[in-house]
Amino acid sequence: MQEYLSGWIVGIMVSAFGLIGLYVAAGARDLEMTIFGIALVAFAILFVIGLIRRHFDDVDASRATAKARAVKNG
Amino acid sequence: MANLSAAAGGRKPIVYNDEVVRKFTIAAIFWAVVAFTVGVYLASELSWPQLNFGLSFLNFGRLRPVHTSAAIFAFGGSALFATAFYIVQRTCHARLFGGRALAEFIFWGYQFFIVMAALSYVLGFSQGQEYAEPEWHLDLWLTVVWVAFAVVFIGTVMKREEPHIYVANWFYMAFILTIAVLHLGNNIAIPVSIFGAKSYSLFSGTQNALIQWWYGHNAVGFFLTAGFLGMMYYFIPKAAGRPVYSYRLSIVHFWSLIFMYIWAGPHHLHWTALPDWAQTLGMAFSIMLWMPSWGGMINGLMTLSGAWDKLRTDPGLRFSVTAVGFYGMSTFEGPVMSIRTVNALSHYTDWGIGHVHSGALGWVAFISFGAIYYLVPDLWHRSGLYSKKLAAWHYWTSTLGIVLYIASMWVAGIMEGLMWRAYDSQGFLQYSFLESVVAIHPFYVIRMLGGVMFLLGALIMVYNLIMTVRSPSTNPRSEPLSGAMPVAAE
Amino acid sequence: MFIKHQTIERNAILLLVLALVAISIGGLVEIIPLFTIETTVEHVQGVRPYSPLEQAGRDIYVREGCYVCHSQMIRALKDEVERYGHYSLAAESMYDHPFQWGSKRIGPDLARVGGKYSSDWHYAHLKNPQALVPESLMPHYAFMADTALSYDNIGDKLHTLRIVGVPYTDEQIASAKSDLETQANPQADSKTLLAHYPKANTVPGNGKQVTELDALVAYLQVLGTEVNFADTSEESLRQ
Repeated sequence: MQEYLSGWIVGIMVSAFGLIGLYVAAGARDLEMTIFGIALVAFAILFVIGLIRRHFDDVDASRATAKARAVKNG
Repeated sequence: MANLSAAAGGRKPIVYNDEVVRKFTIAAIFWAVVAFTVGVYLASELSWPQLNFGLSFLNFGRLRPVHTSAAIFAFGGSALFATAFYIVQRTCHARLFGGRALAEFIFWGYQFFIVMAALSYVLGFSQGQEYAEPEWHLDLWLTVVWVAFAVVFIGTVMKREEPHIYVANWFYMAFILTIAVLHLGNNIAIPVSIFGAKSYSLFSGTQNALIQWWYGHNAVGFFLTAGFLGMMYYFIPKAAGRPVYSYRLSIVHFWSLIFMYIWAGPHHLHWTALPDWAQTLGMAFSIMLWMPSWGGMINGLMTLSGAWDKLRTDPGLRFSVTAVGFYGMSTFEGPVMSIRTVNALSHYTDWGIGHVHSGALGWVAFISFGAIYYLVPDLWHRSGLYSKKLAAWHYWTSTLGIVLYIASMWVAGIMEGLMWRAYDSQGFLQYSFLESVVAIHPFYVIRMLGGVMFLLGALIMVYNLIMTVRSPSTNPRSEPLSGAMPVAAE
Repeated sequence: MFIKHQTIERNAILLLVLALVAISIGGLVEIIPLFTIETTVEHVQGVRPYSPLEQAGRDIYVREGCYVCHSQMIRALKDEVERYGHYSLAAESMYDHPFQWGSKRIGPDLARVGGKYSSDWHYAHLKNPQALVPESLMPHYAFMADTALSYDNIGDKLHTLRIVGVPYTDEQIASAKSDLETQANPQADSKTLLAHYPKANTVPGNGKQVTELDALVAYLQVLGTEVNFADTSEESLRQ
């Protein structure tokens, strides 16, 4: 449960940062802010994809252990 | 599984989050090599300025913060994160608070900060203050990551099953807290536009100078000292199989160190336009600071009582113990240099650089190597290091490198100081500034060689650790490397 | 002690609070009086905010990390005063956001470099230091001669500096661009510029566009020149 909650809270937080990055990159006045903004967007996308992937990996793994246990008992 | 704590005394087994520890350990090793390489390049630029090549992104002024940030924040910081998360879980008998996602965010968020900061320096963006060069937007990002770190670390301590908070954690908590205060205090700046990286510091002149060195000296005192003392208080007893020498001394050490360090900043500003009273306070506390520092050194070294023979067989422990020795040396040299009369000679010279590197290479890097040599076999479930001999080569190469570095800088520094203040028989200044530059050239070359040796040692370590993880000769094991934490004598 | 250490070691919040108290005291004692004691920065006649071109040059100085090799703080030591000039007064860096006193001299101190060398010397030296000083360790900054100074936001910069305490007037902020261009043009009439910023040095420029090198040289040429130390009476030095 804690993992689930943690994933959502962190995921939403990072998505917000990604949006901030987009906003900053759009209005950027120097090279540094352009790079920083785009990098933030890329970071947010990759990180959230990672969170989603890990969630489904967990689901798959728990299904596999449940199945193995059922086979053992049944 | 080594990250499954022993179900001792009826406690249920806990799976520690060692994934984030492994990531930070790899990062620490990677950034160490980067930091040392940039350092060697900088040293080469000072020996042969042609190596600047007239390129804006390679020049010494822009590259220097890449080196200092890589050494302190990238290498040192990653080592601190790795060990903090490793130690807090095991001493509290609790899995990291905040879930896997938050720990992942801290890791990737911190690496993002490091890469963005280095890139910004070479592109020509800097707040122009030592060890606080990242511009406002990166300072804000670091704040977010740091708050996450505080939440995870303190949350883990608060959910602990072990009622007593181990001494290493006091140091880590003080480090986390103080760095937050220093970072926020020193980096207050107004951006010209939120769409631009340029900002102006709220403070100026004399006040800015003191706030900067309140920050800067305590970046040393808390980032590079308190946090690493936490490392020392865990890995030395663990590797030696002995309890910490004195529980009472650790209490005195802790409180006196964190109280006194804060005052030492003004010793960076002796004889300047900072008011005399502030300089005197800084000097007095810097001298007093020698005592808690050596208290810590004694506590660390005497922990080896009855286990000194382990130095012959455990190369990681050899690094840690030598680190404590260099710590003692640097924390004696520092107070000496804080004396105004000595400082009149030493300030602005290479003696300061020598002092910094005896601490950075001798203490910070060596205690980190000691921790890393302990951690890697444990975290990757191997029976031991691939080659103790290679670790010994690392040790001796790096130690020689440090000796060359600091000795050459002592000579250069004192030579500069003496030449700048020399008068001839007619009563005129004897040397032009340029003559001092020419005189120290050979020592700059020796310093560069010292750096090359230190880098070489680190590369030997990288090979050894890769082989430790990969080689079939280091058998995977199912039992943890070492037993329960030895309890300190009352 | 009223709290047993055993209690502190079993309570994370208590430990944190006490640690916070312990680390706050030194900072508060050393920092707060610097803002409340008036004599910390005694105002001195002549000290003025940087002109737009000088400030632009200063921003370049900061971003290039010049402070890692050059100090700008002459200490109150005999040999230092003889080598570099009057020791630096706190007032002389009161408008420096950030201060650039420096920690290391790989090159000489620059606190009073203004007026010591001609602007032509500075241009040549910054482009190729070794051509003038063969043993110099300084990198080449020739790229600045080819880089146009970006100064569209110079008004915003002065405005931001005013927010942090530099007393630019509305007039100075409004004429920031024209003052900047005047200072880089020897042909221009510098009456307004000098009225706004006494002792501002006009730099030769290249006649085509204002470059980063122009700005940096303008900054270097003002360093240490604002206070008239020949006027030795304390009353006329103090504002």
